[in-house]
Amino acid sequence: MGSFLLKRLFQAVFVLLAITLIVAYAIRLTGDPALMLTQGAGSVTEADLQMIRESLGINKPFVAQYLEFLQSLLVLDFGRSFLGGTSVSTLIAQSLPATLALATCVMFVSIVISIPLGIKAAVSKGKWADQVIRIVSLIGLSFPNFWLALMLVLVFSIWLQWLPPSGMTDFTSFIMPAFTMAIILTATNVRLVRSSMLETLQSQYIMVARAKGLSENKVLYKHALRNCAIPLITYFGLQFGGLLGGIVVIERVFNWPGLGTLAFDAVGSRDYPVLQAVITVLSMLIVGVNLLVDIAYGLIDPRIRTES
Amino acid sequence: MYKASLKAMLLSGSFALALPALASTLTVSSPQDPGSWDPVDTFLVNWSSVATNIYDGLTYRAPDLTLQPGLATSWEQLDEGSRIRFHLRENVTFHNGESFNAESVKFTFDRLMGEEGKKGPQRSNYAAIQSVEVIDPLTVDFHLNAPDPVLLTKLAGYGAMIVPPNYIKENGEEFFNTHPVGTGPFKFETYEPKVRIDLSAYENHWGGAPKLDHLNYRFISEPSTAVAELQSGRVDLVIPPTIPIGMISTIEDDPKLDVVTTASPTVFALRFNTRDGITKDERVRKALIYGVDRQAIIDSILGGQAAQISSFQSNISFGNDPDMAPLPYDPNKAMQLLKEAGVKPGTKLQIDIRGNDATFSEVAQAVASYLQIVGINATIKPYETNVLLNDIIPSGKTGAMFQQKWGGWTLDYDNTAYFMYHTGEKWNPYDSDSALDEMLESQRSITDMSKREEILQSIARYTADRALEMPLYSQDAIFGISKKVKDFTPVPDNRLRLNEVYVD
Repeated sequence: MGSFLLKRLFQAVFVLLAITLIVAYAIRLTGDPALMLTQGAGSVTEADLQMIRESLGINKPFVAQYLEFLQSLLVLDFGRSFLGGTSVSTLIAQSLPATLALATCVMFVSIVISIPLGIKAAVSKGKWADQVIRIVSLIGLSFPNFWLALMLVLVFSIWLQWLPPSGMTDFTSFIMPAFTMAIILTATNVRLVRSSMLETLQSQYIMVARAKGLSENKVLYKHALRNCAIPLITYFGLQFGGLLGGIVVIERVFNWPGLGTLAFDAVGSRDYPVLQAVITVLSMLIVGVNLLVDIAYGLIDPRIRTES
Repeated sequence: MYKASLKAMLLSGSFALALPALASTLTVSSPQDPGSWDPVDTFLVNWSSVATNIYDGLTYRAPDLTLQPGLATSWEQLDEGSRIRFHLRENVTFHNGESFNAESVKFTFDRLMGEEGKKGPQRSNYAAIQSVEVIDPLTVDFHLNAPDPVLLTKLAGYGAMIVPPNYIKENGEEFFNTHPVGTGPFKFETYEPKVRIDLSAYENHWGGAPKLDHLNYRFISEPSTAVAELQSGRVDLVIPPTIPIGMISTIEDDPKLDVVTTASPTVFALRFNTRDGITKDERVRKALIYGVDRQAIIDSILGGQAAQISSFQSNISFGNDPDMAPLPYDPNKAMQLLKEAGVKPGTKLQIDIRGNDATFSEVAQAVASYLQIVGINATIKPYETNVLLNDIIPSGKTGAMFQQKWGGWTLDYDNTAYFMYHTGEKWNPYDSDSALDEMLESQRSITDMSKREEILQSIARYTADRALEMPLYSQDAIFGISKKVKDFTPVPDNRLRLNEVYVD
């Protein structure tokens, strides 16, 4: 287990280095932040721009800038935003919890809905309940999430005025963004739970369990579910990582003060430090979640533990 | 007088008994958080929409665009415009209690022109200021490198906002960025980056206390989200640039809401590559202008929320000649001119536009179809905005026509014309005209406003004669507002001072 972890950690560091290098290089190809800052100021001279570039630290060669970034990364200091000079760590510290909270809600809602539905569909394979669940989940899968978001806002914020249309305030503000994302995930997850359950239900140990005379609930939730857990956890883990990246659209529609909004604005204003920091933090999270998934395998399935 | 105030006291007293004193709050949706509230740090219009309420300048420009006394009660131009003397307002205090005087003015401009200012984009705009001299606590002299006819206007906004010296010295620059203090009608309360900034009434403002108790701004960039907040009643006012033309009817259909518009300095043109290709020929450029029905575009695509322009400036711009008429729509004349210039039907031409501007992309498609009618095959090439502005245009890599959107809060044609037409300017990659250069330079040192206006108008006529661009329209500033908000006056440049506004 120890050497396995070490190997994975080494991989993680390599992935992070590669990502930050690509991002840092690519964003510098797309335009000069000094020009962005002075847009609308017609009377800017090249000398003015040079002074601004100097104060932003972007007049140095790329390698020097990148090494500086790595150096500050070691102490988790991401420098200052080009827009207003706020400390980037402060900005991240404000928006990371918002994104994590929303993503966690989304996963929670989706799992809570999809596991019982998926099991129900599997158990009643071919019967009407299975058909209904499959059709509904197909419909869920076919919705573009921004459209769904706008429709929810129209109904619940504008017509009924029950929920706030945007922003993060109390728990009511989580409902619409969490459901919008969760409905789309649930559509996939129900199908996954169903097929994985179907496979498990055909195994001999389920037959044995039933033969022992265990209650159907015990068979399903104790024996069968535990055995489908491995593919499900892998999938949910990867999904959580994907969710963090994919939440940008939903954050924008709901004006959610999270990492997605931060990254979106940073691209628009060529705010290198902020964009680099957001992407680094996101990749750390995704790499970290994957690592956790690997570890969780071992905890759930003793077979993997002994093998490694 | 005594009776009236007694009555008011009684009224307010009974009101207070009937209801718990309801603090009036206005919530504004603004599309962008500038990140810092320091006047020297940004050039963003949406910095200004908030900061206009926090700070005062020496001069003040009212919504009707007249220049009025601000923190200076009067001023006089001395030494042929190379020195301006300001007499300052007495008994003005900053929100932190610090008193305003000549030293605060000197500190503000020393800071703007010094090290702190060098880091930001504001300094270059005030390059005419050489030094500020304190004459006595209520008098300052501005010594200028050269006369700047637009300086008095520039002192009403942005980098020229007066800041408190002791507060900044004690708390540091960084603290000031996120905890602004000025002399304006509203004082800073809290700021949550990317989310909101909250202000409250400053009772001791020299112009009288504002009518609102609280003024809150939320940063919402997505238009449909901002409008949803307006419709659900959680936002009272949505300021430009947020609401696209297409959403106006949604707001108008809501009985609780209104759309308020006013002419703005923002103008749109399709400029020509005057150096190479078919648009090198003046006849071709004129033909292309004749060939496009600009009024029809305004009426259909822009829902009438725009006005035709005859040169690259809006009708409220200083330097606009109301007697100048845009070239009429005349496809026959266009075809005849193209024939004269030897341009064959089916000739190709490329129009470069900003890819993120949905409305303008419709406009460009309309232009392309008009050009099709006169025998020109136009293709539209959208670019990411920054790429177009920072690379394609300045380095002269555009198609025969390219979108330019321009506007400046000073509403002075110099701010457009000089940068668009003077040889070697960033926005002028193709053209060089010594006669035009000379005119552009001459108006910069004249403080006689009527003479300057004459020169600016002749520049406008000259550029129209040479058909340096296809002037399209000036776009209205669009505000979405709840009907609960009273006494709201829209302003062209988004510098909305909300001290007279109240909520019913």
